[in-house]
Amino acid sequence: MKPKLCAEELERYDRQIYIQDIGPAGQEKLKKAKIFICGVGGLGSPAAIYLAAAGIGEITLVDYDEVVRSNLNRQVLHHEADIGRRKVYSAKEKLSKLNAHVVVTTGCDAVTAQNAKRLVSGHDVIIDALDNPETRYILNKAALDLGIVFIHGAVNGFEGRIMTVIPGKSTCLRCLYRGPVISTPKFPVIGVAPAVIGVLQATEAIKYILGIGELLTDRLLTYDGLKLKWREFKVRKNPKCDHCGRMQEGRQS
Amino acid sequence: MTIKLNIHKTHRQYTDGLETLDVAGSTIGACIDELIHRFPAMKDALFDGKEKLKNQIEIYLNMESAYPDELKKKVTAGDEIYITVMLTGG
Repeated sequence: MKPKLCAEELERYDRQIYIQDIGPAGQEKLKKAKIFICGVGGLGSPAAIYLAAAGIGEITLVDYDEVVRSNLNRQVLHHEADIGRRKVYSAKEKLSKLNAHVVVTTGCDAVTAQNAKRLVSGHDVIIDALDNPETRYILNKAALDLGIVFIHGAVNGFEGRIMTVIPGKSTCLRCLYRGPVISTPKFPVIGVAPAVIGVLQATEAIKYILGIGELLTDRLLTYDGLKLKWREFKVRKNPKCDHCGRMQEGRQS
Repeated sequence: MTIKLNIHKTHRQYTDGLETLDVAGSTIGACIDELIHRFPAMKDALFDGKEKLKNQIEIYLNMESAYPDELKKKVTAGDEIYITVMLTGG
């Protein structure tokens, strides 16, 4: 059943409904969509803000962390008064104030191989806004197993990268895997880097939901904020990938 | 036979700040050998103790992933190699 847009929503989204590729039908698709954002930090904050502003119907936020002062240079959903609060509650409050039409669901779980599929099940898109490779791979596997589009983003310093994974069709995060990478809990970063990448992740999610444009599949887009240079590297699906190697094309469109 | 090597920002501390350099070699591995010959600290930056590329190192040849067996990939004059590092922060 198509969700109907009320008069207030039609006014709120007027400028994007005015985009030929969206229109009222596209806006209804956005309202019907359910997006899972894993990590409500540097990447998750801008992604969630713009997805809520765009009128995504349901957004699920999962993060077990609490807000600390050193988050505030980049995690723009959290304010000084939120220090000590669970990030998901802080984020839900801001997103609900931004757009009361969006249903925001929260979870304080640490994503594990045991719970990942249960957490992401039923969503149309997963935004990988995590800060460590181990959990990214767990999420990548869950996305592939359930046929959910997975939008990877990562940052360091002034740099970032993004790639979209269509299960069964395009290169997944694990296809280039050479072995475990140990991440340090503290990585250097300035807020403008995850802002750029998080908004691109939201852009990819919106395009996928609407079925418009070209998704960033089989391409790794890298961003160097210091030089303001973008590079696009072609990547290939690995037939021996232990996550997607045996998946058949066409399983998920 | 000149190959252009692009060095990632995190490694430029080992290359006197050089972002790119021209090297010669018939494989990516040979080009990296020359890089290490000129900048020996790059060896520990790129390889683990068993002469294996570190897991976080990514190599691209002419804007395409060189994975797997990156070091054995053939190169010819005019080719361009990017040595980059997997980013993990969010």
